Amino acid sequence: MDPTLTIIMAGGRGERLYPLTRDRAKPAVRFGGIYRIIDFTLSNCLNSGIRQIYLLTQYNSVSLERHLKLGWNFFNRELGEFIESIPPQYRTEDRWYAGTADSIFQNINLLEQMRPKRVLVLSGDHIYKMDYQDLIAFHLETKAEVTVGAAEIPRHQASQMGVMDADSKYRVRRFLEKPSDPPPMPGNSKVSLVSMGVYIFETEKLVRELILDSKTNNEHDFGKNILPDMIARKEKVYAYPFKDKNRKKAKYWRDIGSLDSYWETNMDLVSVNPEFNLYDQEWPIHTYQGQYPPAKTVFANEKEGRVGQLLDSLVSGGCVVSGGRVERSILAPRVRVNSYAKVEESIMMEDVNIGRYAKVRRAIIDKGVAIPARFEIGYHPEEDAKRFSITPGGITVVPSGILLENPQK
Amino acid sequence: MKKKLLFADDEPNLRILYKTEFESEGYEVDTAVDAAEVLEKVEKNTYDLIVLDIMMPGMNGIEAMEKILSKDKKQLVILNTAYTVYKDNFMTWAADAYIIKSSDLTELSEKVKELLGGN
Repeated sequence: MDPTLTIIMAGGRGERLYPLTRDRAKPAVRFGGIYRIIDFTLSNCLNSGIRQIYLLTQYNSVSLERHLKLGWNFFNRELGEFIESIPPQYRTEDRWYAGTADSIFQNINLLEQMRPKRVLVLSGDHIYKMDYQDLIAFHLETKAEVTVGAAEIPRHQASQMGVMDADSKYRVRRFLEKPSDPPPMPGNSKVSLVSMGVYIFETEKLVRELILDSKTNNEHDFGKNILPDMIARKEKVYAYPFKDKNRKKAKYWRDIGSLDSYWETNMDLVSVNPEFNLYDQEWPIHTYQGQYPPAKTVFANEKEGRVGQLLDSLVSGGCVVSGGRVERSILAPRVRVNSYAKVEESIMMEDVNIGRYAKVRRAIIDKGVAIPARFEIGYHPEEDAKRFSITPGGITVVPSGILLENPQK
Repeated sequence: MKKKLLFADDEPNLRILYKTEFESEGYEVDTAVDAAEVLEKVEKNTYDLIVLDIMMPGMNGIEAMEKILSKDKKQLVILNTAYTVYKDNFMTWAADAYIIKSSDLTELSEKVKELLGGN
């Protein structure tokens, strides 16, 4: 039996990604056309040889459950492997999870049943590539009680995050939530060590800390409460600057914290040389894809300007670009773009239909939305603001279920 | 004001023993025959400390403790049992003390005093 049990916290409301999280949990939100946000963490587990995983779900878990059932059903129980999702059990508490630490506290019985030596605690809503075995090896070497995975983030950007002040051996002296002047990491004055929400705990220590925390009135959060409290008590808390399996110039770790950053991290994928590499066969990203026909373009009638064009875009199976033009965009499965329509810098979820002569620019269009013929999105900000959410970065977000028609003239 | 204790044990003689002993030490003492009665009493009264046997008919003392703590996370609880095997069980770690039952009540009495900050 592997001495490490992994718990992925996938229960947050994801309010900052509303309306994409209206009907689905944040880990189930699509990313890069065919993936869901959870696929990146689960692929890290798979590629790290981590095979015993509990996933704590909560709000709007239907879509996430379905994805796990369809796409992540190949772990073999007979070999001791599993990915099991655990909705709140109300075993002792008559309430939903109060914070990240509370979500695990309420499931201490799972730890009692398995008695793993260590617990790897992960978050289900970050995009990065990491071999967790490197983290575990470092943790064993330092004999820490808990080791926190750390991303190296430029100091001026780190002030919105959980920052660790560590000594030259990476023992953490202070854990600072959103510090105004983030301390630099040892040996590099330009960057700070930011908590990735990745923790490896000695199990008994974790249990004792969760129980202590459960008796307080704080927010029951790992970053805000458990870690600062442990550091204050001089417990052995270490930071581990993660080795990026993405193998690009800068280390890549993203918390998709807003619709703007969601749009930007997606748009990175359509650039000529994306920061995040989906093509590395040594670090495959696993997901579920339905059985759809290959993406297709039709009409090459250049004389009449009726040409199906796909430029600088990611296009999933089942899509048909029929006489329209798609540029710098991401199309989830079964999107249809009709003749003379124009789509630019947009993310379209599955089953979106863009009518003839419609124009869409800098938008996120959620599942199943039909954009009527000649409709325009992203061209008239005042009009758009009457019907849709517009992000601070100027991205128009069209929620699923909306019925659109052109104004009657 | 006298500190108020609640003892849960399915063994009648032990309930009498706890009541006599701890009343003589100056506490107000209430007893319960099982977990269900404990939960009932906790609904109606407040106790400075609750001492729970683990092996009782019906719901055991660990489960009763979890239910008590979910309503009042600061409630002081001692698990008082004849068995050592539960001591490693994570579920018992939420108790403020784990005491191996004995007819000699010295250890229990000292722990009660310690948790209540002297009496």
